[in-house]
Amino acid sequence: MFFLPEVILEARDIEFEYPDGTKALRGVSMGIPKGKKTAVLGPNGAGKTTIFLHFNGILKPTKGKIRFAGRDICYSHAFLLELRKNVGIVFQDPDTQLFSASVLQEISFGPLNLGLSRENVLRRVNQAMAATEIVELKDRPTHFLSYGQKKLVSIADILAMQPTVLICDEPTAWLDPGNAARIMDLFDRINQEGVTIIFSTHDVDLAYSWADYIFVMNQGLVAGEGIPEEVFQNESLLKEADLNKPWLIDVYDELKRKRWVVADMPPPKTRQELMSRISNSP
Amino acid sequence: MLRIDQYAYSNRLRFTHPVEKFAFAVITLIIGLAASSLITSLVITLLMAGVVILRAGIPMRFYLKLMSIPMSFLILGVLTIAVSFSGEPFSFLWGVKIWGFTLGVTAGGLQTAVNLFWKSLGAISCLYFLSLTTPMVQIISVLKRLKVPSLFIELMNLIYRYIFVLIETADKVYISQSSRCGYASIKTSYYSMAQLASNLFTKSYHNSQMLYTTLMARCYRGELNVLELPYAFSKKNVALVAFIDLGLVILALWTGGVLSAGGHS
Ligand SMILES: Nc1ncnc2c1ncn2[C@@H]1O[C@H](COP(=O)(O)OP(=O)(O)OP(=O)(O)O)[C@@H](O)[C@H]1O
Ligand SMILES: [Mg+2]
Repeated sequence: MFFLPEVILEARDIEFEYPDGTKALRGVSMGIPKGKKTAVLGPNGAGKTTIFLHFNGILKPTKGKIRFAGRDICYSHAFLLELRKNVGIVFQDPDTQLFSASVLQEISFGPLNLGLSRENVLRRVNQAMAATEIVELKDRPTHFLSYGQKKLVSIADILAMQPTVLICDEPTAWLDPGNAARIMDLFDRINQEGVTIIFSTHDVDLAYSWADYIFVMNQGLVAGEGIPEEVFQNESLLKEADLNKPWLIDVYDELKRKRWVVADMPPPKTRQELMSRISNSP
Repeated sequence: MLRIDQYAYSNRLRFTHPVEKFAFAVITLIIGLAASSLITSLVITLLMAGVVILRAGIPMRFYLKLMSIPMSFLILGVLTIAVSFSGEPFSFLWGVKIWGFTLGVTAGGLQTAVNLFWKSLGAISCLYFLSLTTPMVQIISVLKRLKVPSLFIELMNLIYRYIFVLIETADKVYISQSSRCGYASIKTSYYSMAQLASNLFTKSYHNSQMLYTTLMARCYRGELNVLELPYAFSKKNVALVAFIDLGLVILALWTGGVLSAGGHS
């Protein structure tokens, strides 16, 4: 449960307009709880990627402020470098992120920019490759990798920089279920080491079982926020943002209606939990 | 070109020190160009074929196919040298008379042509050796050691990487067009082709913008620093390269008299 968590990244009334006049954000306010796993949901074009780009200073809001660790970010060179050391983004499309033909060199780029020694960089690269289980891709050129493998490399890219906040734009899109589960496990492990995780997704089931906190965006605004149990019980919000209910809640509601399970408990968060409640029910 | 790239990453000499391979290819190339003996060029051509097929494990059929690509250019080019046109009929081995002039082949012309043919083939073999055994990433790292300006190095890196992104994008667009009958008739083909080209252009532009963004997000400061892994020099290989190239130099001197840059025999 949530007891007034410390906020590490904060967006205050962010408005943003792309050069071509698209109003992508129209007053977004978000407080990302420190050390938690936050999911951002919303239909295509809702502004998820755009707000992420604000979080590490790539885009500068037309109006509003971004705060990191209690300080307004300013857009000076030195400040941005410091911010980007702390806030890492894994981009949606790995092909735009991977610039090198060598997997190892690709992953070494970030840590080298942090000014670490070669030995240190190599150690971090190896750690990141081990964590994402891509060690055997080390000597393969990036262009022979499948899309999912490239996605893993792009995650390793940022892991090697060891940021305190890890933002991941649709981490599981294009990954097979096995790799998707492995990536989420990896995020869990990093999260346990104290790293704040933010990710966007279209997968409501994933967001429901996995996130500690959820923001729902729609048409450049935050349409709703809260812990998963609350967000997914809010019918009008789900309807507005065109989101489905997680199947766990759907099934659980049906079971409750039929009185097959005890009704006065919050809905289960995982498949196992649901199963055990069914088998324990009177 | 893509097959070459694939072999470069999968051949048996893949993990040999790039400098060794680079040196072997370049030194042999220089010897081949400077030597004025036919036999040296022949030996180089065979040597490279042997190394590529036996040591690196490139299939013979693929290598022969590669060698046949420059063949038509070579033969055409060499023919123009072999054939000469003159008023003196005596020096010709074979010829046809046209209005008192002779168009034909002289002994000297033929010899130059044959020499040139094998010399070119030898040089091509050296370059094939390099491109079949050494991935671009390694070649670039050698150039970096040779202190080629970092601007070139970074450009080469990016161009090499994005050639493949471009091909992949073009492939996807092409497939999606042809699956909707975009290339069914000449007229629609022209139209689809134009669409493909403009689409590629805008996509590349978008990619370059995004690339900059993603690099910025990783603290890019104007330099694409990447880690170079140290390769171990193999004493055996260095000795082998030295031995072979020394042998070639001696062969060239012995059979061709002097080393002359012009290459006339
Ligand atoms: N580079 C750009 N130039 C102009 N408009 C853009 C650009 N990038 C995004 N937009 C627009 O801004 C709005 C928000 O886009 P954004 O990419 O943030 O959405 P998203 O929530 O990430 O969507 P998706 O789920 O499809 O990734 C959209 O209307 C989009 O068309
Ligand atoms: Mg997006």
